[in-house]
Amino acid sequence: MLLNFDRLGWWKYVLLAITLLTAAFLLLPIVFIAALSFGSSQWLIFPPPGWTLQWYSELFADPRWVESALTSFKIAVIVTILSVLLGLVTSFGLVRGSFMFRDALKALFLTPMILPVVVLAVALYAFFLRIGLGGTLTGFVISHLVLALPFSILSISSALEGFDKSIEDAAVLCGASPLEAKIRVTLPAISHGLFSAAVFSFLTSWDEVVVAIFMSSPTLQTLPVKVWATLRQDLTPVVAAASTLLILLTIILMALVAVVRKVLKQ
Amino acid sequence: MSTYSDASGAIMPLPKIRRATGFGGVVPALAFVGIFFVAPVAILLLRSVLEPVPGLGNYAQLIGSATYLKIFANTFIVSGFVTAISLAIGFPVAWALAIMPGRLSSVIFAILLLSMWTNLLARTYAWMVLLQRTGLINKMLMGMGLIDQPLALVNNLTGVTIGMTYIMLPFIILPLYGVIKKIDPSTLQAAALCGANRWQCLTRVLLPLAMPGMAAGALMVFVMSLGYFVTPSLLGGTANMMLAELIAQFVQSLVNWGMGGAAALVLLVVTLSLYAVQLRFFGNQNPGRR
Repeated sequence: MLLNFDRLGWWKYVLLAITLLTAAFLLLPIVFIAALSFGSSQWLIFPPPGWTLQWYSELFADPRWVESALTSFKIAVIVTILSVLLGLVTSFGLVRGSFMFRDALKALFLTPMILPVVVLAVALYAFFLRIGLGGTLTGFVISHLVLALPFSILSISSALEGFDKSIEDAAVLCGASPLEAKIRVTLPAISHGLFSAAVFSFLTSWDEVVVAIFMSSPTLQTLPVKVWATLRQDLTPVVAAASTLLILLTIILMALVAVVRKVLKQ
Repeated sequence: MSTYSDASGAIMPLPKIRRATGFGGVVPALAFVGIFFVAPVAILLLRSVLEPVPGLGNYAQLIGSATYLKIFANTFIVSGFVTAISLAIGFPVAWALAIMPGRLSSVIFAILLLSMWTNLLARTYAWMVLLQRTGLINKMLMGMGLIDQPLALVNNLTGVTIGMTYIMLPFIILPLYGVIKKIDPSTLQAAALCGANRWQCLTRVLLPLAMPGMAAGALMVFVMSLGYFVTPSLLGGTANMMLAELIAQFVQSLVNWGMGGAAALVLLVVTLSLYAVQLRFFGNQNPGRR
């Protein structure tokens, strides 16, 4: 009765109202920011007096915004590649291997997911100051990779667990070398896992703020760090434009994931 | 296969001694995680007992100061509020999602995922603008005649609680949805047949069955809230610092690595012990993003 929507009676409307209000609450800031980024009010008045593309042109005219976006993109791409490669090798070891402390190792690899990011950020900041990686591209890539790798290992391991190894063995029996069998049989079969690993890794790096704040230098900062630094001074609509572009990229990637999942399922 | 006889004389197979295989695959990741994750965190924590002088002085200072105790209190109070509100809103939403017609629920799922994956700074910025004195929320409340003066909704713990609840809601709704979806509707039918009214069905059957999921989800939200950095430092005022910001400040502005490490250890110990409780009592749940 309570688990049948049509037989809930008037409770149905209470539940529905709470759910719709919550959905509106979750959607409000996203829609609001997108609307503000086109609004002509410097003081972020809503509804805005008129519509304009001024904030976007200011955003693209400022080399520091453009440069930070390019830096973010560069770091995210390198992190994605490294994270998928390392995640793949590690997953093969974790899923197919048999050695002592295998489960403990897997848990260790996933720990960066649950640790408060600020602890990792501060620890890496201290460490990089010592070894001279603070404020460098390498420092950014390493620190983002620490956070992205668990997502990659998780996605690829679960894909690999769902793949029947005897198919790979059959390819070897039919004359393929073990490596060839892995590349031509196993990799295509777990491609959905590789794809999720890539998307999660990219978004983890692209959206990372806390670690990035500590890794950045005046000459090298990512887009979220630039947004952060600007926000500490004022709430300019240029940030709304930058935020809208960040949101847009997320929506595109999410849509891409949905499409690829559908294609891979067929 | 080699065998041996046990005490009762039965023939038992010898336990197989297997060669370690596949370890080579995890070596690169192990080296990476060891050098860039385990070592830096360990060094930071070591510094808390070594700097400026060896001993537990940093911890004594952390516990002995009213300022720091207030920051701990802020952190726990805000996290508690965020958890309670998320649970109160999240349960009905998860319940509705579990039994709703497919099309509507997939739209709401899309909204949940979108908000979860939207850049954290973009969402926090939106709340900074929405909640300011001349912001939309204050204007709406005044327009409806509910308040005469704009409320101070930002630069204080109210702002932090609103912004954090917003961020945590998907993290509690999604696991709760999974738990409620798995409950067998016939248990509720049976309760109804035995004469339970709707309220009794809810409080004596549905809620207890969903309880493990609620506890696990609440614990996860609480732990995640404790360590949050971005939202509290943008939506909270300088007077209402939380633990993560204190750690950052020790390190960045005060360059006090000993105190920074000590505060980090406190956060780490609380976090990991709450996760241990979760693992012990509720099994492995998906940890969320930060």
